[in-house]
Amino acid sequence: MLKFVVRRLLLLIPVVIGVSIVSFSIMHMIPGDPARIIAGEGATIEDIMSIRTKYGLDRPLIEQYLRFMKGIITNDLRSIRTERPILTELLPRFANTAQLALVSIVISSVIGVTLGIVSAVKRNSWIDTFSMVFSLVGVSMPIFWLGILLIILFAVTLRWLPSGGKGGIEHLILPALTLGLATSAIIARMTRASMLEVLNQDYVRTVVAFGLPRRKVIYKYVLRNAMIPVVTVIGLQFGYLLGGAVLTESVFGWPGLGRFVVDSIFSRDYIAVQVGIMMIATSFVLVNLLVDLVYALIDPRLRRG
Amino acid sequence: MRRFLVLLLALLCVVSFAAKYGGTVRFLIGVDVTTLLPGNIPDSISTIVGMHIFEGLVDIDENLRIIPALAESWEILDNGTAYVFHLRRNVKFHDGADFNAYAVKKNFDYLFSANLRNAGQYKGIIKEVQVIDDYTVKIVLFAPNSSILYRLAQSTGWIVSPQAIEKYGSDPALMSKNPVGTGPFMFKEWKAGESVELVKNPNYWRQGLPYLDRIIFRVVAEDVSRVNQVRAGDADFMYNPPPALFAALQQDKSLKVEVVPTVRTIFIGLNTLRPPLSDVRVRQALNYAVDKEKLCRVLMKGLAKPSDSPLSSRTFGYYSTGGYPYNPERARQLLKEAGYENLKLELITPKGRYLNDYETAVAIQGMLKEVGVTVDVKPIEWGSYVSKILSRKPEDWDYQMFLLGWAPGTAEGHQVLFPLFHSSNRMDNPNATMAYNNSFYSNPKVDELIDKIAVETDEKKLLEYFKEAQKLVVQDAPWIFLYEMNIAAVMRKELQGVKIYPTERVSLAEAWIEH
Repeated sequence: MLKFVVRRLLLLIPVVIGVSIVSFSIMHMIPGDPARIIAGEGATIEDIMSIRTKYGLDRPLIEQYLRFMKGIITNDLRSIRTERPILTELLPRFANTAQLALVSIVISSVIGVTLGIVSAVKRNSWIDTFSMVFSLVGVSMPIFWLGILLIILFAVTLRWLPSGGKGGIEHLILPALTLGLATSAIIARMTRASMLEVLNQDYVRTVVAFGLPRRKVIYKYVLRNAMIPVVTVIGLQFGYLLGGAVLTESVFGWPGLGRFVVDSIFSRDYIAVQVGIMMIATSFVLVNLLVDLVYALIDPRLRRG
Repeated sequence: MRRFLVLLLALLCVVSFAAKYGGTVRFLIGVDVTTLLPGNIPDSISTIVGMHIFEGLVDIDENLRIIPALAESWEILDNGTAYVFHLRRNVKFHDGADFNAYAVKKNFDYLFSANLRNAGQYKGIIKEVQVIDDYTVKIVLFAPNSSILYRLAQSTGWIVSPQAIEKYGSDPALMSKNPVGTGPFMFKEWKAGESVELVKNPNYWRQGLPYLDRIIFRVVAEDVSRVNQVRAGDADFMYNPPPALFAALQQDKSLKVEVVPTVRTIFIGLNTLRPPLSDVRVRQALNYAVDKEKLCRVLMKGLAKPSDSPLSSRTFGYYSTGGYPYNPERARQLLKEAGYENLKLELITPKGRYLNDYETAVAIQGMLKEVGVTVDVKPIEWGSYVSKILSRKPEDWDYQMFLLGWAPGTAEGHQVLFPLFHSSNRMDNPNATMAYNNSFYSNPKVDELIDKIAVETDEKKLLEYFKEAQKLVVQDAPWIFLYEMNIAAVMRKELQGVKIYPTERVSLAEAWIEH
């Protein structure tokens, strides 16, 4: 088991290097000169040139990349836009994103798995229809629009919750719910499908024939086996959420990583974009590792692998 | 009895006056502040936050006239090549350092020696800063300069504490996070991507100010969300609401909407390098074919005003040329004369950079269709857009029409005419100092007038040169002159005394909350 974890962690290195090369190339392939954008309206040519030399933007690409990698190792990279050390800039935002992602994945797992189980067990009942309509609406609704509607209802009209910003736990409710609804819809569909598949297995028929109580059959024999694909989906969704939910962050004024990376792309802040993307990639790989460990927890057969 | 009444009255005065004090204003901004080191500030949001912390020797008031700030008065010597400033006494920086002539000198020396981003605004203009005595400084120029006071009033001219320069000067990032000035508010905290908090400066030199205890600038990227936060009472102030929500906001009884014209003009630049746009008749025809009144009324919902000059009517030096009133008949006639009756042109535009930029381009596409000009509208992401239209490489100069905005930071006309219309600043001149003339405009008479404007210190003559230059530029029509932007601010009804400037600045120095 330990060997497995270590091997997976070592695999992180080539993944992150690969991601850095890809993001570096893309950022340099799109047109746009960071010096020009940073210098702003009315800047003189001299201003622009001095910014260019300062950040080594006039050097060959290979040299810029090597400089960048060296900066990562020695930890003295700075955002071009804000001139602050890049980790000081990104880590608090990543923490905010992680907080939001965690709460919304918990919300969506609870709602999604519950709805999925209920609708699989009570197949073709009104509750099944309701939850499948709910998940269809949930998947189709634009997050952006849902967020604004929730703000208008709960913050502007009813005044129950704050309309945005970061603060106490009450500030988390609306953005987490907005993000969670779409995700819970996906999880609900997955849970239902997976449960139905397991319910039709021979061994389930056997344990039912043995006369085991229905509740016990569902929770002990069906759910546990049905959980593997569901955990995969939850893990994937969590990974996406950790990459920052740009729209939700924008609508609720949540100071997360996604919005910052997007703003950095617009201002051609190569450094911030590259480090941000490497951070997102790393967290994605780590979440996948976590998912694999959870598999082993659920299914003893996988523990030996 | 009478004495009692007088006392009561006095008491009431004190109470109502005291009621002005206290409170926090939550001010919403669309993106985070980039830096609070004045010499590095590139954007208007950092300027709005910074102007509460810092002050310059002089300032610009709401009517864009120069007013004293840290300098009480000044004299112009040696034919306009030297400015002697008499400094205000008993002013202290937030860290306790004294404000005096040495602080001023140190500030400018730091700007040049650290080669901060905006140092170019004074390079080649300011020769040196001399200390005459403790409260007198002399700024020596290389040559007379008509815009030097306006330049000193910009964020780059704000005076930073000499102690702060000693402590953090070696690292711009540290300077940016530890802004120390003389302004009405002191820096407290900056949570990256989230908020900047300022608190009252109890020792501010303007007696009795500020009224507020605290300002929190909070980042909310989405404009609809910013509006909703103010409506919900979770914030007190925002600006640039989406025009579509404008009518609803004006009806909300808990809110107040203020509209102020700015120095920013929006225009469509015409690349005069190649036919058909090298023909002045075609350029004039395009101007006649666009109904600016309609654009402002229908599309901008009153948040813009038709312009008839490259300068906004608020910019110092503006002259009303009459411009090109909407006249599609005349447009068709001019096109016919020029021999272009079925013209095809491409219009590139940013999307979301300025209020309704893309929408304006599409509306113009329709208007030009009316006079037989087919326009292909192509939106481009801002970063790529800038590198295209401000490119110094000949292969990029194939664009025809481009939508752009311009706001002179100095609020005076030289910073419009010189970068955008002086032939020395054409993109194809490798020695350009402010290469923004991307319509490749050149007119020797206009060059001459701009050169005169740069050095003229007599206001009457100066305005005469400005007038002539604007008339010529409008006649030559290197742009389709569109409109001047207004800035709209939405605030809670209780918030009073907010000053909104045509330079897109907002000051809460004299603001208070009505109880």
